[in-house]
Amino acid sequence: MLSRRTTLLLGTAALAVPQTSFAADDIKIIDNVELSGTGVTSGSMWQQGVDLAVKEVNAAGGILGRKIAIQHQDNQSQAQIAKAVATKAVDNEPYVMLGPIFSGDVNVSMAVGEDAETPTLMGGEAANLTQQGMKYLFRTSFSQSSAMPKVANYLQKTGVKSVAMVWIANDFGKGGRDTMAKELNARGIKIVADISTEPGQLDYSAVVVNIAKAPADALFAYMNEEESARFLIALRKLGYTKPIIGETVLASQRVIELAGPAANGVKAHVGLSVDAPNPLVQEYARKFKAAYNVASDHNGIKGYTAIYLIKAVTEKMGKFDRKLFASTLHGASFSAKDHPGLLMDVSFDANGDLDRESYLVEVKDGKQTITETLPPLGKK
Amino acid sequence: MTRLWQAALLLFALVAIYLLPGTLKNYGVYIVTLWSVYVIAGMGLNLTVGYAGQISLGQAAFWGIGAYTTAIALKAGLPFFAALPLSAALCFGVGLLLGFPALRVQHHYLAFATLGFNVLVFLAFRNEDWLTGGTFGINNIPRPILFGWRLRAPLDFFHLTWIATVVMGALMALLLRSPWGRAFAALRDNPIRAESVGIDTTFYTLLAFAIGAAYAGVAGAFFAPLVGFIEPAPFAVTTSLSMLLMVIAGGSGRLFGPAIGAIVVVLLPEWLRFAAEWYLAIFGVLIVVMMVWLPGGLLSIPDRLRAARVLK
Repeated sequence: MLSRRTTLLLGTAALAVPQTSFAADDIKIIDNVELSGTGVTSGSMWQQGVDLAVKEVNAAGGILGRKIAIQHQDNQSQAQIAKAVATKAVDNEPYVMLGPIFSGDVNVSMAVGEDAETPTLMGGEAANLTQQGMKYLFRTSFSQSSAMPKVANYLQKTGVKSVAMVWIANDFGKGGRDTMAKELNARGIKIVADISTEPGQLDYSAVVVNIAKAPADALFAYMNEEESARFLIALRKLGYTKPIIGETVLASQRVIELAGPAANGVKAHVGLSVDAPNPLVQEYARKFKAAYNVASDHNGIKGYTAIYLIKAVTEKMGKFDRKLFASTLHGASFSAKDHPGLLMDVSFDANGDLDRESYLVEVKDGKQTITETLPPLGKK
Repeated sequence: MTRLWQAALLLFALVAIYLLPGTLKNYGVYIVTLWSVYVIAGMGLNLTVGYAGQISLGQAAFWGIGAYTTAIALKAGLPFFAALPLSAALCFGVGLLLGFPALRVQHHYLAFATLGFNVLVFLAFRNEDWLTGGTFGINNIPRPILFGWRLRAPLDFFHLTWIATVVMGALMALLLRSPWGRAFAALRDNPIRAESVGIDTTFYTLLAFAIGAAYAGVAGAFFAPLVGFIEPAPFAVTTSLSMLLMVIAGGSGRLFGPAIGAIVVVLLPEWLRFAAEWYLAIFGVLIVVMMVWLPGGLLSIPDRLRAARVLK
C-alpha cells in the first residue's frame, strides 16, 4: 500500500513543476529577490522600485515598442533557493535577470546567469562579486571597494586619528569591515576597537560599553537596517557622544524611521539618497511615496534605475540581444539628461562595477541632509 | 503475492524517479536533486528521532559538517569519492560525541542540548575564516568526476545523487530489519524494559546519533557540489527544524516518511509559487492543518482509513 502511495505522490510532485506564461511579444525580466527571510527589508524596497519603473516604462510605450513583463520570485534569502530561482529563471530564457540583493545569494546566482549568457543586474555590494571575471554581472550601486575609500577620506580630512569599528557578522558586514580596515590602515588611522555583532541582535549595551571604553576619535558602524537602528538607540541611551560615521545604510530612510531621534547627528557617505539635491531624484522620491505611502531608500532607487538601465542599453543597441547587452554595458556611460529614469549620470567599467556621484550626509531633525556632493571616482 | 507486488511497485517508483527528471528543465532537475539530498539527511534523522526516540535539533549541523568537509576536500584536490566517506566518518564521530548528553537527558532537555550544539557548529563555520571562509563561505565547489567524466550536467549529477539515496535507503532498510533495528525500537518504546531484556541502551543511544549524523554527512557531501557554494546560513537551527518537520510530516518512524516529508519541505513551497506573495503563508497554513489532523504524518493516512473502516 505504502509504495503505491509513495509512487503516486513522488510522481505528481516531480511533474508538478510550475511553468510561467509570458505573452510572446513581452520582454521577459525575472527578478530573483529576497521577499522573505532576513533580506526582506531590502528586497521589498527593491521590488517596489522595480514595479514603479516597469509601470512607467510600459505606460510610455515600453522598450522599442515592446512591453516589459516582470516576474518577482522570492529566494527566501537562502543561497540554495536563490540558485533554484536563478535556474528556473534561465529555463524561461529572460532578456535580463534582476537581483539578488544579498551577496551570498548573488554568489550562487551569478554563475547560473553566466552559463546561460543572461545579463544580471544585481543589488549586492560585497567587493568580491565583480572580481571573479563575470561577463554578465552588473551592479546597481557602489561596490564596497569604491564606497569605503570615500568614507576613509572623509575621516582623514576631519582629523580623525583613531576609529572604533562595529560591524555585522554576515558577508555584507564582514566585507565592508575588511575593505574599510584596509583603507584606514593605508591612511594611518588606527583601529582601536573592532567589534562584530550578530545579525538580528537585539541588545547592544555590552557593545556600547566596550566602544565607550575605547580611546577612539570616532565610531564607524556598518550593519543592516534593523540592526543599525537598534544600535543607534542603544548608543543614545547610554549617552555616547563621539562622532558616528557610516556608509549608506546607517543614514538611510529606513534606519531614520526605525531609530527616530536616535539617528540625529549620524554622518555617512551615501551612494544613493532620495534627498539628493537633484530634481530627478526628488521627483522619483515623490512618485514612490505617492505609490506606496513610504519613503524609498537606496534599494528602491537601485531597483528603479535597474529597469531604466535596461531601457537605456537596449535603445542604444536598437535591438534585443543578451550577449550584445553585456558587451554594450561594459565601459558604457549614460547621462541623466538623455535618460531621466537613470536619475544620475552613470558609467560602467569592464568588471560591471558602476561609478556615479555620491554624497556626504548628516541626519538632522530626522532628515537626511546633504553636506557635500562627491564627484564620481573617475572624475577626480 | 502482495509482497511481490509491493516490491515491483517500489522498483517501478525508484526507476521512475530516476527517469522522470529527464523530461524536466534544469530548474526541475535542481529541485528534485535538492529533494533527494534532503531525503538522505531525513532518513538519518528518522533513525534518531523516529526509530530510536531521541529528539534532535542538530541535524543541520551534521549536514553542514558534511558539506564543509566535502567542499574543503574538493577544493584541496581530493576526489569526491574520497571526500564522501570522509564526510560520513567525521559526522559519525561527532555524532557519537553528541550522543553522550542523550545518555543523561531526554525529551525537551535533549532537544535544547542538540540545539545548543547546532549553534556552536554554526558559529564555528562562521568564525573560523581560515578553514571555512567565514561569512563569505566557499565558492566554485566543483562537481564530482566519475571515471574521468565530470558530472557537470544537472541530470548526470541528479542520477548520482539518486543512486546514493537509493543505496542509503536500502542500507537503512537492512539496518531496521536487523536485530539492531528492533533494539532501536525497544529503546524508543521503553528504555527500562529494553535494558532489562539485555539491550545495551548506552551503545544503541550513541549509535542512533552516530548513524543519523553519518547520513546527514552524506547528504552534505552532495549538497556542497549541488549548489556550488556554501556559507554558514543553510546550516543554522532553522534548517534543523525543517528537517524535523520533514520527518514528522512524512511519518516519524516509517521508512518512506522522509521521502514524503521532503516533498512537503522542499517541493511544496516551490509548487505553491503560483500563489505569488501568498505562497509561504499558504505553506504555513497547510503545515498547521496537517499537524492538527495528521499528527502521525502523511503516511499514517492508510492506517487512519483502515481504522475508520474497522470502527464502522
